[in-house]
Amino acid sequence: MAKENVRYFEDVELGEELGPLVKVPTTEAVRQFCSVWDPEVGASRFTDEATARKEGLPHALLPGIMNMSYLITLLTTWAPAGQVRKLDTVFRQPVPHNKSVRLVGIVTDKNVVDGENRVECDVSLQREDGEAMVTGKAVVILPSRESR
Amino acid sequence: MFIDMHCHSVASDDARATVDQYLKWVTVLRSKGYRVDGIVLTEHRQFNREADYSEISAESGVVVLRGAELDTRHGHFLVYGVNDHLTRRFDFSDVRTDPFELMREARASGAIAIPAHPGRSGIGLCEYIAQGVEFPEVKTVELLNGGSRAGENERAAELVQARGYWGTGGSDAHFVSAVGRCLTRFPDHIRTEAELVQALYRGGFQPVRLEQTAQQPVEAKESR
Repeated sequence: MAKENVRYFEDVELGEELGPLVKVPTTEAVRQFCSVWDPEVGASRFTDEATARKEGLPHALLPGIMNMSYLITLLTTWAPAGQVRKLDTVFRQPVPHNKSVRLVGIVTDKNVVDGENRVECDVSLQREDGEAMVTGKAVVILPSRESR
Repeated sequence: MFIDMHCHSVASDDARATVDQYLKWVTVLRSKGYRVDGIVLTEHRQFNREADYSEISAESGVVVLRGAELDTRHGHFLVYGVNDHLTRRFDFSDVRTDPFELMREARASGAIAIPAHPGRSGIGLCEYIAQGVEFPEVKTVELLNGGSRAGENERAAELVQARGYWGTGGSDAHFVSAVGRCLTRFPDHIRTEAELVQALYRGGFQPVRLEQTAQQPVEAKESR
C-alpha cells in the first residue's frame, strides 16, 4: 500500500469525520450477499418482499451483517491500513432494498491501550434524509508513524 | 446555562458511551465554539444512587447530574431529583409503571417526572392524548429530543403550543457524538439535582439545538 494512503494514529483528531459513502443495496446485491452463506438462496425476509410482509415487516430488509459490512467498508475506506477490532451495532429500523443509504462516522476517542493505537468512532447507516437506521461504535487499530 | 437533559451511558442496555467519553466529547464541542455546561444521565429503568461523578465533573468543568428514564403505561417519563422515596415506592424496572402516580409521588417528594419525546410514534404522550387520556399533572414535556424521527419534535411542539406547557431539550444520546445535540437553556445556574428540580418547576427555560449555543459565553463559576 502506498504510504500516502496510510492513515496514522498521530494524525487523527477527535471530531474527524468519516465518509460519507453512498451505497444502493439492490435486491440482486442482497441475494448475492445471502448466497455466501447459503448457495441455494430461497425466499426469506431478506430476499423476498411477500415473505417479509407475511412476517409482519413493511418490506424485505437487508441482513444485519450486510449493514455491518457496509459500516466496515466505511472504516476500511477511511483507514485502509487500519484493523477493525470491534463493531458494536444497534439496529433501529429495518433497512429496505433499492434505496440509497449514506454511511458516516466520526472519531470520538483515541488512546494507546496495551501498546495498540486505538481509535473509537461512532458510525451510522442513514437514509438519504439523514435519519439513522443502524448506529454503532467501532474500534480501529491504526499504525503509528513511529513504527514506519 | 445549557444542560443536556437526556443522556444514556453504558449503564443503559442500548447505549455505548461512557460518562468519561461524553465529557471528553463536550471539550471537543467547546473547542468548536459550542456551549454545553451540564448533562443529566437518565438511564433506562434504573437509578444508581452510588454513582459519584463529582471528580470527573470538576476535572471537566461539566456539571453531571443523575436522573432516570422510566417506562410507564403511557410512554417514557424522565425523572429528575430521584430520591429514596421514589426508589422505594416504585420498581424502576417495571415497564408498566403508573405515570399518574409517578408524577404525583415525584412532586410530593421534591422530584419531577415529565413525559419524554411526547411526539414519538406509538409511545409518545400525543398518542395517549389522542386516545382520550388526560394528564392534568403535566406542565412540562421534553420538546426537543435529539433521537426523534422526522415530524416527532414538531408534533411535540404543537402539543406544547396548544397546552401551554414548558418544553425541555435533551439529546437522548446513546453514542458519544450525540451528546449535546439538544439542550435546555436555563436562566439559573444549576449545580445540583435539587436545583434542577426547582428550576423545572419554576419554568422560564427553553429547548435549544447545539447550533444555537455557538458563541454563547461560558458562565463564570459561581462561588458560594
